[in-house]
Amino acid sequence: MNRLPLVLRISANAGASLVLAFLVLPILAVVPASFNKASFIYLPPRAWSGVWYERFLADPEWRTSLVNSVEVATLATIIAVALGTLAAIGLRRIDGRWRTLVTGLFLAPMIVPVIVTAVALYRSALDVGLSGTILGMSLGHAILALPFVVINVGIALRAVDDNWLRAAAGLGAGPWRIFRTVTLPNITPGIVGGAIFAFITSFDEVIIAVFMAGYASKTLPVKIWESIRLEFTPVIAVAATVMIALAIVLFALAQIFSRKTGSPSR
Amino acid sequence: MARRHLETACLLGPALVVLALLFVVPLGRLFSLAFTDPAGPFATFGVLADSAVYRQVMWNTFVVAVMVTALCVLLAWPVAYVLSRLEGVWFGLALYGVLFPFWISVLVRTFSWMLLLERNGPINRLLMATGITEAPLALLFNNVGVLVGMIHVLLPYMILPLYGAMVRIDRRLLLASDGLGAGLIDTFRRIYLPLCLPGLAGGATFVFLLSLGFFITPALLGGSNAITLSMLIASFVNDRLAWSLAAAGSLALLAIVLVLMALTARLLPIERGLFAR
Repeated sequence: MNRLPLVLRISANAGASLVLAFLVLPILAVVPASFNKASFIYLPPRAWSGVWYERFLADPEWRTSLVNSVEVATLATIIAVALGTLAAIGLRRIDGRWRTLVTGLFLAPMIVPVIVTAVALYRSALDVGLSGTILGMSLGHAILALPFVVINVGIALRAVDDNWLRAAAGLGAGPWRIFRTVTLPNITPGIVGGAIFAFITSFDEVIIAVFMAGYASKTLPVKIWESIRLEFTPVIAVAATVMIALAIVLFALAQIFSRKTGSPSR
Repeated sequence: MARRHLETACLLGPALVVLALLFVVPLGRLFSLAFTDPAGPFATFGVLADSAVYRQVMWNTFVVAVMVTALCVLLAWPVAYVLSRLEGVWFGLALYGVLFPFWISVLVRTFSWMLLLERNGPINRLLMATGITEAPLALLFNNVGVLVGMIHVLLPYMILPLYGAMVRIDRRLLLASDGLGAGLIDTFRRIYLPLCLPGLAGGATFVFLLSLGFFITPALLGGSNAITLSMLIASFVNDRLAWSLAAAGSLALLAIVLVLMALTARLLPIERGLFAR
């Protein structure tokens, strides 16, 4: 069993290659689809053109949705990173039952099905007038992104030795100075990694956004979601390609930062 | 010491307050709606349980989740095994293959599958060109499309824990088993499989729980022919404004998820499998 017979080894490799192809290749189908010349999507395109990219950029609704998405994701990232970093540092200072309980609470948004969270948030947002606002969506996304920041910063914090903090305190540094000069420089890569996760979590999120978005506050995924249900135009493929491109850029950035800390990237 | 406690409270406080206000309270308020039906506190659950349509939806949700989990286990096996044996560039390449889909929006991936599975899409044309079928197959707006799309999204959640378990297996155990005269099947059944079990169970639980609450993929690929519980909850809110039913459905979904998590956590050393890499 340490070395499988040749037949089994070949079939394992072939099977793995097929499954990997199944995982990666279909995602890329939207890229050629976005370069269709016709007004409907045909794969592979019979004639190629970039006309739908022009259409995407010229259409105020698509442009606004892209801007909205960046706004929502930026705001959600700021909230999640600020709260999550403090929380991760705080979690290190408690132990036992409390630690399990608080950690569980921080991770809960990952466990509760998003549809349930979305309906609950929508209901409360209606009552307090946050429904249909950029702020409402950002707050919802910040909740989903919080666990990623807590986890990433928590992993980076493992590299910070408690003795360093004691040494700094012994030398007369106050808590804020200790944080700024000892803790923060060591966990910066973890914070950046968490921020990238938070941004992409919000930028990609559909369910909360679909419930919360108002007429003027649709995000890019909401606009894609609505367009798919109305008509199948190549503009949707353009929007999808934009989302893939952004994800790849952020993925590369996160890889660079995770290599610096050695923290795993999902 | 008191000062230290105060600092800790200041660190954890903001996140806890925001989480309470934006997560715990809204969930509590939603769930309380389930018990406010004029017909009685548990009337909403009665409506969900008595209607043949709703029972069908729940059954369909369960069947889809079971099939997705089973197929993910099957497909994850060769990838996890090969990953645990590869080294260097090939390992990196294969690992990126598994991680890449994680980073692409589920909506984008689902849209991609809509293009591929369409009636006149490339897959149907390929099937007809090779003579496998005469007429185009209905791959979209039924459970076939839902299965394909959901497996595509959830498979990495199965591969990673299984790989985590496989890579930790001490190869000397397998050598020893060989040396003691056990055949391939015996070694697999008595050594390899039991050692893979925590990763396998962890991944399977994760996939199963995530598929129970899946929304985007079934909504777009299944449509009205393959309604799942999450779509039912959404339609209670959007189409019928039946908040108490939506609340009851949400509470039922969350309860099932939590009970299953507690059960598997009790039965299996799941943590090591889940967070292993």
